[in-house]
Amino acid sequence: MSELASGPLVLTDALRFEWVRIRTLRSTYWLVGAAVLLNAVLALVAAYGTQDRPPAPAFVGAILTGGGPFVPIPLAAVCLAAIGVFATGHEYRYGTIQPALTALPRRSALLAAKLVVPAAVTLVVAAVSMAVNAAVALAVWGELPGLTSWPVDEAMPGYLVLGVLWTVLGTALAQVFRGVPSALVLLLVVPLVVEQLMAQLSYVDQFAWLGPALKFLPFMAGQHLLDLGGTSDVDLFGRWASGGVFAVFVAVVVGAAWTTFTRRDA
Amino acid sequence: MISVTALHKRYGDKIAVDDLSFEVRPGTVTGFLGPNGAGKSTTMRLMLDLDHGGGETLFDGRRFATIRHPMAEIGAVLEAKAFHPTRTARNHLRMLAAGSGIAAARADEVLELVGLSDVRHRKPQGFSLGMAQRLGLAQALLGDPGTLILDEPANGLDPHGIHWLRDVLRSLAAEGRTVLVSSHLLSEMSLMADELVVIGRGRMIYQGDVDGFVRRFTDSTVLVRSPHADRLTALLRGSVELLADGALRVSGTDAGAIGELAYRNDIMLTELATQTASLESAFITATEADEEYVGGAA
Repeated sequence: MSELASGPLVLTDALRFEWVRIRTLRSTYWLVGAAVLLNAVLALVAAYGTQDRPPAPAFVGAILTGGGPFVPIPLAAVCLAAIGVFATGHEYRYGTIQPALTALPRRSALLAAKLVVPAAVTLVVAAVSMAVNAAVALAVWGELPGLTSWPVDEAMPGYLVLGVLWTVLGTALAQVFRGVPSALVLLLVVPLVVEQLMAQLSYVDQFAWLGPALKFLPFMAGQHLLDLGGTSDVDLFGRWASGGVFAVFVAVVVGAAWTTFTRRDA
Repeated sequence: MISVTALHKRYGDKIAVDDLSFEVRPGTVTGFLGPNGAGKSTTMRLMLDLDHGGGETLFDGRRFATIRHPMAEIGAVLEAKAFHPTRTARNHLRMLAAGSGIAAARADEVLELVGLSDVRHRKPQGFSLGMAQRLGLAQALLGDPGTLILDEPANGLDPHGIHWLRDVLRSLAAEGRTVLVSSHLLSEMSLMADELVVIGRGRMIYQGDVDGFVRRFTDSTVLVRSPHADRLTALLRGSVELLADGALRVSGTDAGAIGELAYRNDIMLTELATQTASLESAFITATEADEEYVGGAA
């Protein structure tokens, strides 16, 4: 007869389960590869396009972080968030939630593992991606100015935090929706359509009242973690406070995911 | 030993499982029967804490969720194709083993046991239902558990597969394991099960051995042949039906009483045989009032 379940031991089991689960899916490798390659290609194109003039530190930061604040969503982070989406969404799409819960019936531990493992993978891949981008830019330019000074020194950890938050959000959203498509649509539509539309509307007089609220738009705020010191039309909090706005949003969704997962039938 | 006490589950106004209590003993195969919509799957899901509801299920005195490695004690399969289509059969089992404190090598052992060794590196998206059922059984046996809970494991198996499944489950029960298995294949269940739990509309209809169930819900008849059938018919008190070939089918009495009656009245009998109804007849009689979905006549 096996021992009784206790918190730390059960979490260890769940982490082992999730680690094997994520390693034995081909899509994990495709998404990791796509994230690294996409950023590397962007870095290569941008570096080649500017090789005739000395690189500015802000531009170095943008190259390292897959476009920095100059793109509406971090492309590599979206790929890595899909790993999180699959971590929970696939369980319902393919009915594997049943064997998962008959092996690991403590739902909080299972959900924690599903949040932690993809987030850890994202952390490593994002760091590797920045290193690859740096190598690409260095090969083209022969130098990387401003790597250890503001704003690049803060944008790089900001990029890691942003990637982790996107992945955790993807995992939690797919758990709330119990499926893949809704989570992916929301991850793309809200930052690319809803928030951009609100930002544009705030310039119209009738909707000027939206202006002060823009700093609370989660994805826009999260993207400010990659701030490279440029001027912005939108009045946002500082880098880490904006990251906090996005983190609070992610925490709320994680809370919803935990509540639904522990209270609903599997 | 599985002890189920006062299980209860409601979906809105509909009661799916209604105060259901039963026990499943080790060393036996217990069949779990009921018409479509009777609540069999819901009951199994409640037992495994997959669904939330009232009541309690204890496995050797412990609740499922309190066991650190449940797969090492309770092997359960409720859906045949609950696997990722592109994760190989072997990796599917290794994943579950990793979370259950089971050695990864055990995956190959159980795949060998269920006859899927040759396809262990294949993605299961192309598996037939029968192969998926075998993978499900491999999953249930992964932790070499003392208790098995299987929902319709014979669905999709060919006759050889069904025969194999019956032998496997009976041999596992003979080793002292507790086996609860639901099935719609009543003829198969009559060969496989020692005990039955029969439910209808979420309520208990019967728990006990198979013979007892058949006796309780059917009338056995006696087939009699005699050159003096007309005299015997006049003497018999029970209901007598004259069959086309001249034999008599007698209900309401037993073969012993008929034999004694014939002996006392110098009536020669050429055949005297008790005819027991099938499990299917008993099942239909027992559950006809609890059928959820009834079709019209063709």
